[in-house]
Amino acid sequence: MNKNLYQPINGRIVDIIDESPLIKSFVVVPDEEFSFKTGQFVELTLPGEGEAPFTPSSSPADEEKMEITIMKAGRVTGLLHQCDKGQKVGIRGPYGNGYPVDDFTGKEVYIIGGGVGLAPIRSLFLTLVDRIKDFKSVTCRFGAKTQDDFIYKNTLFGSWQKIDGVEIKLSVDQASNGWDGNVGVVTTILDPSDVDIKNTVAIVCGPPIMMKYVTFKLLEFNFEPKDIYLSMEKNMSCGFGKCGHCMLGKYYVCKDGPVFTYEQIKDYPKIWE
Amino acid sequence: MEAVFTSKLKTLLDAVAEKFLLYVSSKNEDHYIYNKYDQSGKRSVEFNAIRPCAPLKEFLFPVRELAATYPKELKADDIKPFAVFGLKECDLRSIEILDKVFADEDFKDQFYIKRRENMFIISSDCSEPGETCFCNLFGGQGFPQMGFDLNVSKIRDGFIIESGSQNGNDFLINHSQLFGDVPDTLLSERDGNRAALQNQLEQNNQKLKIDAEFKEIVENAQNSEVFDAEAANCIECQACTRICPTCHCFYLYDTTQQDYFAKMKMWDSCMRFGYASMAGGANPRKVLGDRMKHRLLHKFVYFLERYGVNMCVGCGRCIDTDIGGVDLREILKKLNEEDTKTKTVK
Repeated sequence: MNKNLYQPINGRIVDIIDESPLIKSFVVVPDEEFSFKTGQFVELTLPGEGEAPFTPSSSPADEEKMEITIMKAGRVTGLLHQCDKGQKVGIRGPYGNGYPVDDFTGKEVYIIGGGVGLAPIRSLFLTLVDRIKDFKSVTCRFGAKTQDDFIYKNTLFGSWQKIDGVEIKLSVDQASNGWDGNVGVVTTILDPSDVDIKNTVAIVCGPPIMMKYVTFKLLEFNFEPKDIYLSMEKNMSCGFGKCGHCMLGKYYVCKDGPVFTYEQIKDYPKIWE
Repeated sequence: MEAVFTSKLKTLLDAVAEKFLLYVSSKNEDHYIYNKYDQSGKRSVEFNAIRPCAPLKEFLFPVRELAATYPKELKADDIKPFAVFGLKECDLRSIEILDKVFADEDFKDQFYIKRRENMFIISSDCSEPGETCFCNLFGGQGFPQMGFDLNVSKIRDGFIIESGSQNGNDFLINHSQLFGDVPDTLLSERDGNRAALQNQLEQNNQKLKIDAEFKEIVENAQNSEVFDAEAANCIECQACTRICPTCHCFYLYDTTQQDYFAKMKMWDSCMRFGYASMAGGANPRKVLGDRMKHRLLHKFVYFLERYGVNMCVGCGRCIDTDIGGVDLREILKKLNEEDTKTKTVK
């Protein structure tokens, strides 16, 4: 009861990794004990400037620090991009439900991501890989504008591809730098034979337009709406279902989400906007 | 439960003001607003016939407040006991609704709770309903039965004061020398007033009675053109949501002070264009009619599904304040007509 909901805990940025022209990953060390479930999000405060919601991209198993991958998209993210190592930050959270990883046990996991949507997916991916034997397979289909726009390039093009039980295919909207993989939006590398649809959960995270067309494609493949997990992004502000900004139908994305099955939200208007 | 009589309101208010910082309703042109109580009697205190124009929420959830400071942590300790006189039954029911949001959930807002615990509530019966009052359509009756510390009913020769809580009881017992007994004849007079009030409310809102559930008609109106048509009269001033005693959306922002950083919390409105917009410009409710629809869906569908109660008490403040003439009662009526028509066609 004595805890002030609005009070961030202090932390600092200890490292900054350039991921792509518009995206950086910030390694943040909280001053106090802090843990989260994969897919939950935090409100990261730049003191005196503002806060914004981000899903950590690191594994929850790392309790010392967390990584937050941020695309320069607005005022707060623009200011965060100008920060240097050592910058003090505030952290509130974790908020929301996260991915129901235990429910995926014994199933094939089909992960489809685009652009900076790979950030929450990386956290999920690392969580799944930690206990890869619990799942029948992990099949990834990732897209980006160009090869340069992929984030986590080192692991994505390297070590992740070599993990037993994992299969990854990539696509770019525009080929460059000797790209010899698929060219086209991410839906062009989705195929019903990728997974055993009846025993698969699909995880989708990316820009709204991408999530929309991927969802429609999966429905064409006869995925059940309850087996399609979407990371919805709305204007999450307070983080605990009070301030109202992130309402999606009756749901508070911050509290009831950010992960929803398509079944939960399919009947609401303009969910992709 | 104690009931006492006083011929002068001032007797009660002076006694309350000895113990609490007291806010009272006072007349400002044709409406009532809350002011700090002035014991000198320079500013006259009137028994307000209907709810003050300002919503009660401003005492529990101020227009703007400090939500957090850092690096040094803010505590809710400096919230002192205070009392409010002049609120009506609709206001009491609005507190129940705000409690569900700020106090009754897994995430408790300690500033709200602290204010709530420190608020001594002196409600009162309405004398006669205002033109825009439609509380009876939302289960109201114009006089409080619970949720107060003290309630005041105006009768011809004075006021009946009744306690509704342990604090209220203690107050009346501790000040028994100030008040007289209430004979049954006065209680009958009060009950007569109350019955007349209920009748008046029924009569005033007869033509607005809707057979269907509000939830149903608003839920069925997803594709209705009523919202866009009504939006044509809306000037986006957001007053309807700010003056609403149940609307509780807020906006968090950060500021830099001389030696600390602060997180501020300020009322916000879902009628504001940028309310739901995200970094990068995506905005699910760019269209004003969609924002109006969302406001009604939240009030009559989503909130009800989550908390089991409508997020409207029928106080009519949003109608009083609307410069463009948007009238919630009329919207509900139109949606009902549309809904009935659709069902008949089917």
